Amino acid sequence: MGLAVLVVAGAISMVRLGNWWFRPEHVASWPLFLLLTFVFWWGLVRTLIVWISYLRIAKPQRLPPAGGRRVAIFTTSSPGEPLGMFEKTLAACARIRYPHTTYLLDDTQDPRFRAAAERHGAVWLELVGLPGAKAGKINAALARTDEEFILVLDPDHIPFPNFLDEVLGYFEDARVGFVQVAQAYYNQYRSFTARGAAEQTYGFYGPTQMGMHGLNCAVAIGANCTFRRTALASIGGHGIGLAEDLITAIRIHAAGWKSVYSPVIVSRGLVPEDLGSFCKQQLKWARGVQEVLFAELPRLWPQLSGWQRLSYLTVGTYYVSGLTMLLFLLIPYLFFWFGLLPANMDFLEFLGRWIPVGLLSLSIYLYVQRWMCHPGPETGLHWRGMCLKFACWPVFALGCLLSIWNGEIPYIPTAKRAVKQFTTFARPLLAHQALFFLTLGYVVVRRVYFTPESRLALSSADTWGMVSFAGLAFAMTVGGLYAAYQSTTIRPEDPWVGVDLDTIKT
Amino acid sequence: MNTTKQAVRTTASRASAILLVIALGIGLFGLLLLAGNKGRGPLETLAGSVTSQVASFEKRLLSGDSRASRAAALAWFRPYRENKLYLNNTDTLLVGAYDNNTVESYERIVALEDSLALKLPIVQFYTAWGSKREQVFPMLRAQAISDLGSLPLITWEPWLNDFDPESFPRTGPADQVNVGGLRAIAAGRYDAYLDKWAQDAKAYGQPFFLRFGHEMNDAFRYPWGPQNNKPADFIAAWRHVVTRFRQQGATNATWVWSPHPAYPNYAEFYPGHAYVDWIGTTALNYGTVAPWSKWYTFSETLGNAYGELSTYGKPLMISEMGCLAVGGNRAAWFTEALTDLPLKFPKVKAVVFFNNSNDVTTTYKALDWSLNNDKATLAAIAQALKGWQLPKPAPAL
Repeated sequence: MGLAVLVVAGAISMVRLGNWWFRPEHVASWPLFLLLTFVFWWGLVRTLIVWISYLRIAKPQRLPPAGGRRVAIFTTSSPGEPLGMFEKTLAACARIRYPHTTYLLDDTQDPRFRAAAERHGAVWLELVGLPGAKAGKINAALARTDEEFILVLDPDHIPFPNFLDEVLGYFEDARVGFVQVAQAYYNQYRSFTARGAAEQTYGFYGPTQMGMHGLNCAVAIGANCTFRRTALASIGGHGIGLAEDLITAIRIHAAGWKSVYSPVIVSRGLVPEDLGSFCKQQLKWARGVQEVLFAELPRLWPQLSGWQRLSYLTVGTYYVSGLTMLLFLLIPYLFFWFGLLPANMDFLEFLGRWIPVGLLSLSIYLYVQRWMCHPGPETGLHWRGMCLKFACWPVFALGCLLSIWNGEIPYIPTAKRAVKQFTTFARPLLAHQALFFLTLGYVVVRRVYFTPESRLALSSADTWGMVSFAGLAFAMTVGGLYAAYQSTTIRPEDPWVGVDLDTIKT
Repeated sequence: MNTTKQAVRTTASRASAILLVIALGIGLFGLLLLAGNKGRGPLETLAGSVTSQVASFEKRLLSGDSRASRAAALAWFRPYRENKLYLNNTDTLLVGAYDNNTVESYERIVALEDSLALKLPIVQFYTAWGSKREQVFPMLRAQAISDLGSLPLITWEPWLNDFDPESFPRTGPADQVNVGGLRAIAAGRYDAYLDKWAQDAKAYGQPFFLRFGHEMNDAFRYPWGPQNNKPADFIAAWRHVVTRFRQQGATNATWVWSPHPAYPNYAEFYPGHAYVDWIGTTALNYGTVAPWSKWYTFSETLGNAYGELSTYGKPLMISEMGCLAVGGNRAAWFTEALTDLPLKFPKVKAVVFFNNSNDVTTTYKALDWSLNNDKATLAAIAQALKGWQLPKPAPAL
């Protein structure tokens, strides 16, 4: 109710802003104005869609699992992954109370992995040389097993003993194809990057996925999703690609299955600790979701519901924000170096119309935090997450551009241990800072030595206003560079060593 | 039957819940809008003061740089600029200009100066009354002129159309707001605006010319003319405005009463010696640009008016001096006008060129009064100005 009021007020404020924005006298140069309009309204329209999905936030009615269901847990290992992590995960799988069989889908060709699996009562399946990385192994394993339900668990995710008790009940509805649960982490204390990366997920695994659940658009996340075998069979097996989980989810939705998102934490995994690993993960996703946008969505369009179309369209274009951010950042530099201004807008008039949108947006942001999985520690402004998202715009943009000419990036599992280095992904941030200082120097020199006295006072507000705008973006780069710098000093550790399974209480 | 009733009830309760949410949402939006309207004034004031402070801070940082400072070249004018008494008793002839292309920079004024080989102590610009953001006291523009060493001449036009009807309620239809407008001003309906403007003018802190309601005796020009008002209303409005300024302590305004010389009834509009510091007058030669115009020389334009206006005991200002290039020799017009002007019209203490390249106030097409590209005229003006025999400026009382 309170949320609906805020959303209605927010929508009206946006209409008012739009009514003012689209005036012919605001156009300074048509191409630039169209670009600015696209960049600005891209973000606003997406915000509005998210608000509307919040109105449908729903929590599924928890059902106790029926007895006698046959469940498989698939976890995959690849060469180079740390054995100790598997020891912990396999031990935790053995402690899951609901009867199940754990399978280790292994292509390490390392006998110690087989030994570890057998020590923890898991079935060891050797699946070497299959195309399609993780998904390829899952499909091969599906052919060699026959359990009704399959939990696909990333090896860094340590499941809680009640994992299956929380999810299996939902499958009593025969139309449910998969059940997704929240994701949480046990290493976010390790670095700025880890905390920021974790902060970025709070909203997604809280209000966002809950709203998507209400619209039957919840997305499956490869790390800890439980599937019905017949649902996977109906789409010809687990999807393959950089965003294999999203591909699987859209296909299952298109095949007419229902999805369930339950905001419970029944496992904890790893979040990237260094900026380089984080950016690689983001690049993989940025490139991967485009596959869904270009390859899956058009093909499956007729079978999807209206909300599912909108939802996958929104998810599929999420990383376009990398390009819009680039254009935003260019505005002050176009002004200073080329004298180009996209719009003749009075800043105060803009502010008068933008502030209500901003205030309501903030109110909604804070309001929906009650639906976070851990409302206490997870609430807040998540500034680390914002800094990290800002730092990733070049990565997002790269992902988008690569997908235009179908450029390939290899499927690499996200690093489980911190990589101690100053990542090349931070170079655009350094370039941005250099450009800022260069421009600042140029502006100062120009004003001190070359601006006619008769122009100085009248152009002062525009100049320094624009410098402030550029300075704001400059300030945002500091967080990302701090994360990059901190990544050069981080000590690679095995955070799973410190996890004591006996202390997991559920 | 029972289930139908229940269904109706459910539908009704849901519909009313949705309506309630929408109503509350609109209410919340309305509250924000209200807060925005209430906060607009302070926000704009804050933004205005930040803007002018940034400009003066930058000016202070850059002062003492290697550029030849215009203010230094106008150092002789400084006593007049800073002391209203010197200004009102000026012992020399001040030259100035208005240029319409000065929103971002006064470079056009400087270019004109360079062609005339002198610095202009007066820079004129126009601003209208109203509730818009740009209709507050033009602090930054005034400050920029003063930073350059000149004195701002602000022509202040009481258009009443731009006032927000919520803050300044109208008594009649919107298109009739200017009818009897001067009486409304005199009655205090716009005092909130006046007082704010006067306070900002006081905060500006230096003398400036304020030419309010110019050409009030011309019924074919501005809405504050005799077509909408009686002469007595103009006098009452003028006195009211001046009084409000004095009450606010804005005594740095130098009042320029500026009738049109073509209508010899201006005496009916004179507010009185106690309310006027300077007398301005227009001298624009439209040449043959329109059916109603013909080529008048400067002496013909000013002619009779000077005889009467010079008896008021106030310094005179040709506040708009210009000549179009259609229908005669423009250079010769300026030569005739300016040669020996201090001797022919000794009460004239200021001449302000009307260097407007895009005048759309009188004819259906834009008129170009600007001199910047007319080398012959510029040379003629420079020549005439060079011949002026003026006493060395020695500000005194």
